[in-house]
Amino acid sequence: MPSRQARLDRHRGWTAAFLLPSVGLLAVFVVVPIGLTIWLSLHTWSTQTPFSSAVYRGLGNFRELLADGPVGRDFRQALRNTFVYAGLSIAAILPLSLAFGLFIHRVAIRGTGVLRALLFSTYMVPTIAVAIVWSKLYSPSEGPFNQILGWVGVSRQPWLSSPDTALRSLVLLNVWQQVGYFTVLVVAGLTQIPDSVYEAAALDGARGPRLLARITLPLLRRTLLFNVVIALINAIQVFEPVAALTQGGPVGSTNVLTYHIRRVGIERSQGGLGSAMAVTLLLSLVVVVSLVFAVNRRGYEA
Amino acid sequence: MQRVGLATVLVVACVAVAFPLVWMMLGSLKTPAESLHTPPVWWPAHPSAEAYRTVARVVSVGRSFRNSAIIAGVTTLGILVTSLMAGYVFAKYRFRGRNALFAAVVATMFLPPIVTLIPLYRMIGWLGVDGRLIGVILPNLANAFGIFLMRQFIKGVPDELIDAARLDGASELRIVFRVVAPTVMPAIAALTLFAFVYHWNSYLWPLTVLQGNTDQYPIVLSLGRLLSYTRSAQNTNQVMAGAALAVLPPLVLFVVLQRFFVRTLARTGLTG
Repeated sequence: MPSRQARLDRHRGWTAAFLLPSVGLLAVFVVVPIGLTIWLSLHTWSTQTPFSSAVYRGLGNFRELLADGPVGRDFRQALRNTFVYAGLSIAAILPLSLAFGLFIHRVAIRGTGVLRALLFSTYMVPTIAVAIVWSKLYSPSEGPFNQILGWVGVSRQPWLSSPDTALRSLVLLNVWQQVGYFTVLVVAGLTQIPDSVYEAAALDGARGPRLLARITLPLLRRTLLFNVVIALINAIQVFEPVAALTQGGPVGSTNVLTYHIRRVGIERSQGGLGSAMAVTLLLSLVVVVSLVFAVNRRGYEA
Repeated sequence: MQRVGLATVLVVACVAVAFPLVWMMLGSLKTPAESLHTPPVWWPAHPSAEAYRTVARVVSVGRSFRNSAIIAGVTTLGILVTSLMAGYVFAKYRFRGRNALFAAVVATMFLPPIVTLIPLYRMIGWLGVDGRLIGVILPNLANAFGIFLMRQFIKGVPDELIDAARLDGASELRIVFRVVAPTVMPAIAALTLFAFVYHWNSYLWPLTVLQGNTDQYPIVLSLGRLLSYTRSAQNTNQVMAGAALAVLPPLVLFVVLQRFFVRTLARTGLTG
């Protein structure tokens, strides 16, 4: 009987055949466009013309993004809005998903399955539908949110119509839609902690908040780290509520990068400038994710 | 006593989470007068399906659903086929550069789509498929998450099963789709759910490719148009009915396939 390796080698031709469709598609539609984005970021190029019509301008696009003009101001505001939106979203999603996850995993009463299904179902709903429904919930006069706030004596909020509250209102909508997904990941992480760990901790007299801080959270560390990174990447993609409800306003307060880059690079056809924005976003993302991992490692060693 | 407290927390949490969707359903059954009333009317006095009839016409619901079904269905089918084949190779074949290639594939999973949107838009135009459904579908037929998921599950398929099939003279193609695939059905169900829902809901890419060719619009884009159509008219009940229609297919699929997703998420190993 031939060795295992020899039997595998006979199928070598299949390696290429099986990989070609997926790796080929990813190469053409992901890797090549990344390269093109970087290349275009160094050029002046109208999106409506062939790539060959691009004119090299070195780092001119990036200089414009850093300069004092309206292009730079709008871009930096969008970059700031995006990271504020992501930061607030993570700050809300992380503790909420942990609380829901612990509740669903630890509480032995009937109906926690219903909560989990309800939570996850919001993640399955098209974001454009969520945006539309929430715009009506936020409606200052006919919306139920201000009515409910009125019952408990809180004054009316302007929600989407004021630059002070619009971005935070979009964060709230995002948290509602996404918290269930992260809850499921927390529950999955919790089920992987063996019961023996809890039994040992109980023998040592650890319970309540002490148990959470000393046992559960450290063992959930990888789950929580993963959740932060995914929540960040999801938050950067926010588009529908901005496109459908605020168009980046009022006064640029909800202008976020996915919306802004599309507006500049495709609607205004400034493909080179838009690509420079995309490259800056990618670099910022790499820096932030590296920082998250570095902070995590530091905390682990301490 | 503690049980009552926990049950109360559970009920409050369920109500809070469900509230926006319940409001949507109630809103879709109101009359225009009720939906404009201040303070808001919570319960429609005379529930009416009028808004659904109007909105089905305004968004050409049949055509929009067909476009959505084609986009989500064909894309999902493509992802299943390409992911099974690549997942099988990454799980069961040994070749030089395997781990590096797999790492590169997984890395693409974390890329925000806006980073490549501008050149992709131009490439689709260059291929001559802009404004058409095929242009929406083509770049998404392979998916890094799908490959990752299939590899994780196929790794658990016993080598003996595959070797036995080979001794029986089965081709590798037959092994992937007739021997391996049936043993990873939960993963296939979960990937079907994720891929179909993701591409049913996807907005930015179809909007960019279809560029105002409303005949080809999926339901989510028609819904986006509905908002601007009704902005002046303030027909909240119609907007809610439109949202309810768009929400229905992914929710139904979720209810049918939901028992697979938790197990699958836990098995991906991404979660600790």
